[in-house]
Amino acid sequence: MKNLLNFIIRNSHWLVAIVLIVISFYLVFSHNSYQRSVYLTSANSVTGWFYETSGKATSFLHLSSNNKLLLERNAQLEEELYALKSYLANNRADTLALSAFVNDSIPVSQFSFIPAEVINISFAGPHNFMTINKGADHGVKPDMGVVSQSGVVGVVLNVSRKFSVIIPIINPKFRLSARLKNSDNTGSVSWDGKDINIAQIGELPKHEVFQTGDTVVTSFSRIFPKDIAIGYVTEQTLSKDDNFNTLNMRMATDFYSVRDILVIDDEYYEEQKKLEETAGGI
Amino acid sequence: MKAISIFKEILLFAILVLLQVLLFNRISVFGWATPILYIFFLIKLPYGRNRFYVIISGFLLGLIIDIFLNTPGMNAAATTIVATLRGVILNLFYPKNEYENLVPGIHVSVAAFIKFVVTMVLFHQVLLFFIEAFSFFNLTSTLIRIGTSSLLTIVLILALDSLLFRKEKISN
Repeated sequence: MKNLLNFIIRNSHWLVAIVLIVISFYLVFSHNSYQRSVYLTSANSVTGWFYETSGKATSFLHLSSNNKLLLERNAQLEEELYALKSYLANNRADTLALSAFVNDSIPVSQFSFIPAEVINISFAGPHNFMTINKGADHGVKPDMGVVSQSGVVGVVLNVSRKFSVIIPIINPKFRLSARLKNSDNTGSVSWDGKDINIAQIGELPKHEVFQTGDTVVTSFSRIFPKDIAIGYVTEQTLSKDDNFNTLNMRMATDFYSVRDILVIDDEYYEEQKKLEETAGGI
Repeated sequence: MKAISIFKEILLFAILVLLQVLLFNRISVFGWATPILYIFFLIKLPYGRNRFYVIISGFLLGLIIDIFLNTPGMNAAATTIVATLRGVILNLFYPKNEYENLVPGIHVSVAAFIKFVVTMVLFHQVLLFFIEAFSFFNLTSTLIRIGTSSLLTIVLILALDSLLFRKEKISN
């Protein structure tokens, strides 16, 4: 008995080590991307504060390039505005009674956008996440879509009061249904973990015709509006299944430099979700 | 004496965590190599430090890194295992019973320190990448990541050690 006690006391550090290692592995394996505690992610207020402070410091370095992007975007929008204005003016001249049909209230848009800034992004390993500086206080909720100026970025995973964690396309857990712009067959976008610029669109039917440079856009999705760019096809790649094609695509969003993003708030999300859930119960 | 040493260790701990999450984790050389430098903390603990202290601080270090990087448990598991076996690895390269407060450093013995650092870093990175690969397996890319990241980490640790820790600090 005494020997046993001595043995335990002499080796108790192994016991502590084993307990701690078991706790760590429990965290690894219980990690479910949809039911995680906010406290163990970078959305908690302490880590969020660190990231935001460093983000503020580094955002100065990107001011000039961001400014250029905004100017370009502005020019593009102004061009569109001009085209629309002239179109409208032409129509007015044609039809005298147009004002009689104009509604007196502006229709409510289904989608509104919450602008936010990326304060942290990791791409060291395959399991990548992003942290942004808007949270529940600003109306961000889990499962909202996130886009940059050039295309899809990811989906909101976790939300704290002031921060949110986003699961981007460059995470192997990310899935999104998509289609080529000139076709109606849907496939599924995922990432194989190799190259931060290249994602894959799989489960496309064999007969689907494609050309390099074809735009891949969102299709049926509860999260994203239709026809938002995801990427551009570069080549065909090995497929897991002989009945389907898998294509490589260059992503529209450059994850190395993404900084300003928009969170999509879908007015009808809850309604659609509720309705679809009642259908699932049958 | 010991209090000062522990205070310095806490400072090193905090600095390494901040450097890792704010700087090193954003580095990705050629898309492969990311320096994982926080393991430097376990390398610089004195020889005779209490085992519980080493293991628990290793666990906390990994856990805090995990919270920042959204990788629950991965860094904590790898770092705790390294911390547990740190004594065994130390005994391989440093003669036993020399003195309690010996802090492994490049100015004490270059060859032993390099061997020690290489073993610790490789061990840690192999654990880390294979724990990560449980759910996402791709052997060649994992091995290339381990190789390049370890090399970068080792070079940075040796440079940091020779810059930060001057000769006179060894004597205490």
